[in-house]
Amino acid sequence: MSLKPQQVIDAMNSYYLEFPACAGRSMHSLANKATEAVNQSRKDIAKFFNAKEQEIIFTRNTTEALNLVANSFSKEDKILTSDKEHNSNLLPWQSKQHAILFSNEDNTFNFEELNKKIKGTKLLSIVHTSNLDGVTNPIKEIIKIAHENETLVLIDAAQSAPHTEINVKKLDIDFLACSGHKMLGPSGIGCLYGKEDLLKELKPFLLGGETVIDSTYNSYQLEKVPNRFEAGLQNYSGIIGFAAATNYLRKIGLNNIEEHNIKLNKILSENLLPNKKIKLIGPKDYKQRSGIFSFNIENKDPHEIALMLNSMNIYIRSGAHCVHSWFNKNNLKGSARASLYFYNTEEECKQFIENLNKILKI
Amino acid sequence: MICIIALVVFAILGIFSATHRSLAKEAFDCVFKRVTLRKCTTGFDIKMKSGIVGYLLTKNEKIANFTYKYFEILSWAFIILTIVSLLLTAQATYNIIVYGTCSPEDPMSCIITNYHSKEECLDDNCPECIGEENEPQSTQK
Repeated sequence: MSLKPQQVIDAMNSYYLEFPACAGRSMHSLANKATEAVNQSRKDIAKFFNAKEQEIIFTRNTTEALNLVANSFSKEDKILTSDKEHNSNLLPWQSKQHAILFSNEDNTFNFEELNKKIKGTKLLSIVHTSNLDGVTNPIKEIIKIAHENETLVLIDAAQSAPHTEINVKKLDIDFLACSGHKMLGPSGIGCLYGKEDLLKELKPFLLGGETVIDSTYNSYQLEKVPNRFEAGLQNYSGIIGFAAATNYLRKIGLNNIEEHNIKLNKILSENLLPNKKIKLIGPKDYKQRSGIFSFNIENKDPHEIALMLNSMNIYIRSGAHCVHSWFNKNNLKGSARASLYFYNTEEECKQFIENLNKILKI
Repeated sequence: MICIIALVVFAILGIFSATHRSLAKEAFDCVFKRVTLRKCTTGFDIKMKSGIVGYLLTKNEKIANFTYKYFEILSWAFIILTIVSLLLTAQATYNIIVYGTCSPEDPMSCIITNYHSKEECLDDNCPECIGEENEPQSTQK
């Protein structure tokens, strides 16, 4: 979860204050304004990923986007995921022929595993940047290998979209899912990107208002992509806020954000890793962990660490981070995770180190 | 064992505040598990311990360290103190109801009842004095 800039909040409020109407339905001025705002938002978000506007489907979050794709695959289809997937990118596949790609010992991507298991795979659904340890998978190379084996690729970009520039055309991504709330946008809104011809093949799993052109008592004719996937009244304010967030991020520059995160992670890593009580999750090289510092302290519960830091006005996440499968395999209860973003400062990192050192002493 | 203390404290505070009521409920769940010889899995004990130690860390690291290390012992000490305190309160309440003073053996030491020495009584002209003429009911019996 990220903080929200005033621009995003203002954009969301503009819908409720200035044109609180249904987009794409009524003919009056307010509805037209809402339709324009939603269309513009779709264009802005498409631009953020270098996609076409009809390739962006609004969903509630990454989870819904991933499930939308999973719904179109049958039980017989072979699906590959990594061993560090969020439950959202694990559970929907468990009813298919599901296989796991195990990472290297330092949690980085294992190409040997991919080459061994890719044959006959219909879809490779993989996290781009892991919320467990911050490791970014080399998707360019992964996609190349997958496509050579006629495997489609679905990227879970929930963590990478806010931190890394993603060009879906350059990377030749088939599907990509992300959420607004991790990238300065509101919660309850996300999107699925898909190549237009692939989206046409997907089965909508929610039907209703705006998903059909026409219907009779026993049949219906589906709308074009992407409208056929957006059933019922949409979260218009959320969509507008989400677009405002992507515009804000583009202004700052994703490369600048990435650089800043790594700089901050360097401070944490260099100051904390020499302490042997700290057990880091992921590779020691801070450059490979984006803005994530996921760790455990010997003989301390991760929740304990988070709660003590909370008393010092430092808010971090603790627990299994919805990657229970990985923690169960590694016999760990969870971890404490500091997540850095562009609004965090070096001063804040120093405060974190200072306070964590106090906890390390007890 | 912190959950027992927390239950008592939050149950009292919960009379006045909804926030503390939900904490009291959490504490009760934890106590219930402990008395039925199960592990408290609600995380309430960790929440309390970490909250207290975290606060102490901002004030005095040595005290925080001591509290963290001996938290269970301190919790037991507080439980014993609470039980003793509750028993004494119950006894004193009984004495007030039956004898009119919380300490029938030495009524002067009971600050919540309005007994005074004979000298004070003469000065202040107070109605309830300890003396030959006007002794408390308990000592008359």
